[in-house]
Amino acid sequence: MEIVRAPNMLAPEQPGGGDAERGEIVRLGRRTALRIVVVYLLVGAAWVLFSDRVLATIVSDPAARDRLQTVKGASYVLATGALLYWLIVRARSHLAASELERRAVLDSIVDAIVVVDPSGTVVDLNAAAARLAGLSQRNGRGLPLAELLARGRFKHLDGRPLAVEDSATSRALQGETVGGFECTVQGPDGSTVFTHVSASPVYVQSGAAPHRAVAVIRDVTDVRRFEVAREEFLSTAAHELKTPLAVTKAYAQLMKRRGQGDPAALSVIERQTDRLARIVQQLLEVSRFRSGRGGELRRERFDLGDVADDVAQRMRRLTVDPVRVERSDAILVLADPDRIAQVMVNLVENAIRFSPLGGEVAIAVRRRATEAVVSVRDHGVGIPPERQDRVFERFYRAHAGTSQDYGGLGLGLDVSREIVARHGGRMWFESEPGQGSTFSFSLPIAEETAA
Amino acid sequence: MSCASGLLVVEDDPDLSGLMSMILGDAGYSVRVAENGAVALARVAEEMPGVILLDMRMPVMNGWEFAREFRARYGRAARIIVVTAAENARLRAQEIEADGWLEKPFELDAVLDAVASQLAASAAAAEPPA
Repeated sequence: MEIVRAPNMLAPEQPGGGDAERGEIVRLGRRTALRIVVVYLLVGAAWVLFSDRVLATIVSDPAARDRLQTVKGASYVLATGALLYWLIVRARSHLAASELERRAVLDSIVDAIVVVDPSGTVVDLNAAAARLAGLSQRNGRGLPLAELLARGRFKHLDGRPLAVEDSATSRALQGETVGGFECTVQGPDGSTVFTHVSASPVYVQSGAAPHRAVAVIRDVTDVRRFEVAREEFLSTAAHELKTPLAVTKAYAQLMKRRGQGDPAALSVIERQTDRLARIVQQLLEVSRFRSGRGGELRRERFDLGDVADDVAQRMRRLTVDPVRVERSDAILVLADPDRIAQVMVNLVENAIRFSPLGGEVAIAVRRRATEAVVSVRDHGVGIPPERQDRVFERFYRAHAGTSQDYGGLGLGLDVSREIVARHGGRMWFESEPGQGSTFSFSLPIAEETAA
Repeated sequence: MSCASGLLVVEDDPDLSGLMSMILGDAGYSVRVAENGAVALARVAEEMPGVILLDMRMPVMNGWEFAREFRARYGRAARIIVVTAAENARLRAQEIEADGWLEKPFELDAVLDAVASQLAASAAAAEPPA
């Protein structure tokens, strides 16, 4: 499974996606107005046609009829005036009610919302946004965005003040939908608030430039605090778990060196502490990769073949058959040598673990177009076809519960693939039950310029 | 000018510091031990070691604080080797501008090699240019 950034499901699909809806609203308004006018015309015509005739049959005196005629005209004007007044008030109050409701909804939203026009002026902001910038909503409207950013002391995570042109909102005015923009804001109480900003252009007509940009600013301080605490926890856990392992292993080595105890037994202690140390390392890495941060990569230029030689050397203690390295000329990559070695160690360990009858394990380093490809080949048990799809899943152990279950946590390949992916490479395998497996990964080759 | 050849092991775990002094003592070095950065500074004041093997996470005064204080007072008078369980030992070493690093759990040979090469490097550096 490749790690592909899925398109944001919440982002507007098309600028001006609301065109049809807008047309519908306009049409509905026209129809209502037309209905009112038609009714008015019918009533008016009926009144003109019939009122005089009715008056003539009821009142016989022409002088009295004239007076009544005047009263009738005046009352007609009054009645229609009152009707118009009522219609206008009703329409207005509907509008006002829906405006109030919209306002209340916006102000009830926990995230801060800011709407900006193409000149960079804040045209609307909700209560949360006003609180964040330390303003009243009334004062916030009409303020230039730059001023709002300055008042809220918006900063990049590294502490640089956030310039207007760098803000997610300004980018949205250029038509870009920005998600996951991180910055800090000084809260009303002076504390630093970590925020996550998403901003998108607002179109009222398709094909036109954005009419507005809307930014949603979310307070993620708690999430951030949790992340810091977790980092601290992971580093404590690493220390607490690895120190006893270091002590145990070193004492076993010391005894062996001094010729005390059974050297074979001491080697077992050493091997097992190494194994535990690697599991601890994997667990720490998995929890870190989960958080999407995944530790730092220390890239340098080196020859992959050298690292393969080094790994083969280190693996010597695990197996009777030596690990062979097939390499030709130098293949330089720009990568983190410790991490790449770790991937090779994981693959070679698996190869050895799943070759219970022994058999040669080889690391081949070769060049394929612009890629360097490292393959670890074994002649072990292989992976049954029906389990091959899930090999790279975290915690999945293809041989779990079979007679070929040789232990492991099911983390090695997951971590390895993650490391390779972070270097811009891929990992894959071919396997034939009973014949063995070949796990390979690729890395971009570094240009052979001066180091 | 003669170069300091003594070693100072700064480590809060007595089992580990005991082991380090045994193995380095076996190899013929004179080894002193400090259980935190503050004690280490006192040991350094008594006598400047050639190489300091420095744990990072310690109570009272940790490795970072010790390294900062040491550099401020003595500059690069001794070589520092970081001994850490952190996931990226090399990075920790760079943070405090240490001369070398060892990742826990380590091989004894790696400890001896690191100490020997740091002592050799400092001896070479102390040699007057011909």
